[in-house]
Amino acid sequence: MAIPKLDVFENNSRLPLPIEKKEANLYMSFIYVAFISLFIGGLMGLLQVLVRSGSFTLPWGIGYYQILTLHGVVLALVLTTFFILGFQYALMGKTVGMSAKQRKVSWLAFWVMTIGTAMTAATILVGKASVLYTFYAPLKAHPAFYIGLALVVVGSWIAGFVNWRQLYVWKKDHPGEKSPLLAFMVTINMIMWFIASIGVAVAVLVQFIPWSLGYAETINVLVSRTLFWYFGHPLVYFWLLPAYMAWYAIIPKIIGGKIFSDSLARLSFVLFLFFSIPVGFHHQLTEPGIDPTWKFIQVVLTFMVVIPSLMTAFSMFATFEITGRKKGFGGLFGWLKHLPWKDVRFLAPFIGMLAFIPGGAGGIINASHQMNAVVHNTIWVTGHFHLTVATTVILTFFGITYWLVPHLTGRTLTKEVNRLGIIQTFVWTIGMTIMSGAMHIQGLLGAPRRSAYSDYGGSEQAVEWGAYQMAQAIGGTILFIGITLMVYIFIKLTFFSPKGEEEFPIAEEEENAPATPMWLENWKLWVAITVALILFAYTIPFVDIIQNSPPGSPPFDWPIGNS
Amino acid sequence: MKSGERNYSGSNREPSLKGTLISVGVLGLVIVISWFAVFALFISR
Ligand code: HEM
Ligand SMILES: [Cu+2]
Repeated sequence: MAIPKLDVFENNSRLPLPIEKKEANLYMSFIYVAFISLFIGGLMGLLQVLVRSGSFTLPWGIGYYQILTLHGVVLALVLTTFFILGFQYALMGKTVGMSAKQRKVSWLAFWVMTIGTAMTAATILVGKASVLYTFYAPLKAHPAFYIGLALVVVGSWIAGFVNWRQLYVWKKDHPGEKSPLLAFMVTINMIMWFIASIGVAVAVLVQFIPWSLGYAETINVLVSRTLFWYFGHPLVYFWLLPAYMAWYAIIPKIIGGKIFSDSLARLSFVLFLFFSIPVGFHHQLTEPGIDPTWKFIQVVLTFMVVIPSLMTAFSMFATFEITGRKKGFGGLFGWLKHLPWKDVRFLAPFIGMLAFIPGGAGGIINASHQMNAVVHNTIWVTGHFHLTVATTVILTFFGITYWLVPHLTGRTLTKEVNRLGIIQTFVWTIGMTIMSGAMHIQGLLGAPRRSAYSDYGGSEQAVEWGAYQMAQAIGGTILFIGITLMVYIFIKLTFFSPKGEEEFPIAEEEENAPATPMWLENWKLWVAITVALILFAYTIPFVDIIQNSPPGSPPFDWPIGNS
Repeated sequence: MKSGERNYSGSNREPSLKGTLISVGVLGLVIVISWFAVFALFISR
């Protein structure tokens, strides 16, 4: 792929900075772990769909929940977090720079996280932690599972502290200037991640670890779940925001356009920060111990994210249309024609955007209390997040990989790899449409998630499900082919593509774009509002949960968990 | 300057965003239709 000269940056004080080899190694290390995880997790996904089709039994006494736990942890927690931190570091390095000391501390973050990941993964692999990635009490895993998770979280905090420091140092050197858009976005995402993951850290350190070690006899189940979902919903926005970073600030460059509105992008990120955390109850709508009034309040807050989500959708369409019209394409939808469909750096994230239309619609359904009763714990939910995280987010991350990896390894994205990438995108789209579509329908027919094959004693209803389970096996197999192809592409881009310089696309604003108001940079206010919303949404119900708790539960490490 | 083209040199004529308006409208419709479809299912059960 040709590298357009960055001439526009010539008289711009915000020149993208070069990334040194030593920095590139750091960023790539995170991305290596992500792709290893993709392969392992994908293999488990394949096994799951095969088991669920009823035509395959796991050998050597491997349990279904063992592989399902590995799948969830390795894909939803490890792959995402490592890719995100690697990508965000690269964005910070490119826009505000990284000092040698910051790099050293970042290596510490990497190793703490990697050791934690290895501990957790090994514990699951030997069958001592078949508790699924939500590790709901009273299922009890081996303590190493929780300790490993805690290390992953603590490591990610170190990375966040470094990111904040990077921006702080830059701002001191550039008094009165607004921070670069991508650095602003990374900072928001890490603030959200930090505030949210305190919840899961408290649950793990205060509740799970002492209890799994035998120091505490019982655990307060509802408190642990509430702390988990206080973290669990912002977790999905922690995955999504890096994809939005690419949509807002990178895709416009790839399609030859400009940022639609710098202020709108920043404002939407601020709104995501506000409304991602005080909403965890929408995952606990069937939980009997929570006051319905507070469920209602948190559902209302949940629906507030519709605002920044639609702002994002609007902004994307507008970028495409304005760019197309500037290139001279008229008509209502003529601008669709100018989009670089043959450039995988655009195509993969674009399909990701499309997947978010049914994904978002499904999310609104899930969060509506009555309809949650229709879909709760059915395989519909699994279908939903394979659209959102496993398509929208993952395809955007793949789209980033095609230029980020060669940029970091000093290679180029060749025509051949670009073509393979386009094939990969189609394979993923087809596989996921089949698998996720079948999951959605089967879920509406009442089929449970988190279940191996069963004919449920020959019940009539379960007979209806069979065809959809077969469809999932077909879709899942196609997806696994897609994963293999993507891992091949990754290896190719990392080690074998021709040497050269691949562009790091960062979009700019229009020459005479209106200035971004400085109040958007009011970090203290944003954090204060975020904390206030959390205190508002959680204090009273949380006190109520603690005061009116039933007796705690002793651990269950059987039939699944740790046996 | 052709019609529909954005004028960047001073005058504050907005670019045409009709396609965007319709696209966002369709998106909203998808959300509303799927919501009511599942709501109907809820009611019927
Ligand atoms: C080859 C590709 C994949 C296949 C075939 C696949 C298949 C599946 C299936 C069948 C389940 C549900 C099993 C059950 O509920 O009993 C599942 C669960 C899940 N998948 Fe995937 N998946 C794939 C890729 C991914 C990716 C890329 C991600 C995330 C980035 C992901 C995240 C999850 C999560 C979080 C769960 C929930 C686990 C749980 O309920 O504890 N999957 N997957
Ligand atoms: Cu949620």
